[in-house]
Amino acid sequence: MAAASSSSTESPKTTTERRGIPGAQFVEDVETYLTQTGFDVNSALAFLQERLQQYKLVEMKLLAQQRDLQAKIPDIEKCLDVVATLEAKKGTGEALIADFEVSEGIYSRARIEDNDSVCLWLGANVMLEYSCEEATSLLKKNLENAKASLEVLIADLQFLRDQVTVTQVTIARVYNWDVHQRRIRQIAASSTSKDS
Amino acid sequence: MILKGTGGSETEVTWEDQQNINKFGRLNNRFHELEDEIKVAKEAIDNLEDASNELILTDEEVVRFQIGEVFAHVPKEEVETRIEEMKELNSKNLEKLEEEKESVVAQMAELKKILYGKFKDSINLEED
Repeated sequence: MAAASSSSTESPKTTTERRGIPGAQFVEDVETYLTQTGFDVNSALAFLQERLQQYKLVEMKLLAQQRDLQAKIPDIEKCLDVVATLEAKKGTGEALIADFEVSEGIYSRARIEDNDSVCLWLGANVMLEYSCEEATSLLKKNLENAKASLEVLIADLQFLRDQVTVTQVTIARVYNWDVHQRRIRQIAASSTSKDS
Repeated sequence: MILKGTGGSETEVTWEDQQNINKFGRLNNRFHELEDEIKVAKEAIDNLEDASNELILTDEEVVRFQIGEVFAHVPKEEVETRIEEMKELNSKNLEKLEEEKESVVAQMAELKKILYGKFKDSINLEED
């Protein structure tokens, strides 16, 4: 952002886009912006409003993805917990007794003997048997991936929110400029009519 | 947060101002996220407190401790240790969140000073 590119015609104050999200161009001066784009005030406002709506849509999508990931991560951590507990019990030779839910409000008791493998639910009606170590490393890898995806998603959301803010500020400035212009025209019109 | 014009006054918005406004927006969002996370962490700590209190009162030797989706039969001492560990973890987490929240609030106050200084009435940075 601090790169000085004096010969470039693009203002270095725009990141043109990020993963499909168009960047909002920062407007140095409203008048220049309107003459450059050839918009009149109303079309400029309409264009910016539409951009804002598009941003809002993308924001909803990203927020939904973020919620999914944030639910997935504790799930994976719980699985890791269980595998770790089973591994810990392995050495002692005693069985693990656990109560599990059969249906809502109904629990059954299970006796889990010493064993070396666990089955992991991979989704899409698929369950695979793994040794405890393999299971732990698979779960840990999934957890890493989920956390990394979440970080990228959060960065995307921040970028998006910045673009929304820039667009909102631009809308306000275009509108104010228009009000300012009308006022000037009004004063000019009333003063000429007074003179004539 | 809005930027409204007061009649004829036309304060120019520079790129630096825009960046400050963006930063304020980001900090505000983070502030609300932190408040939610702090609430969750406090609830978790309260629950652990209640659990360890119940544990002291009970005279059973084996406690059903939730691991993942099942309740494993775990001897009482082990449960006590586990609960202590979880309380430690949660307290540290809460401390970290509170610290971050304080820093965010301080940064927001700084930015408010700068932005109100330049734009005075033309900008509103309060919660609606």
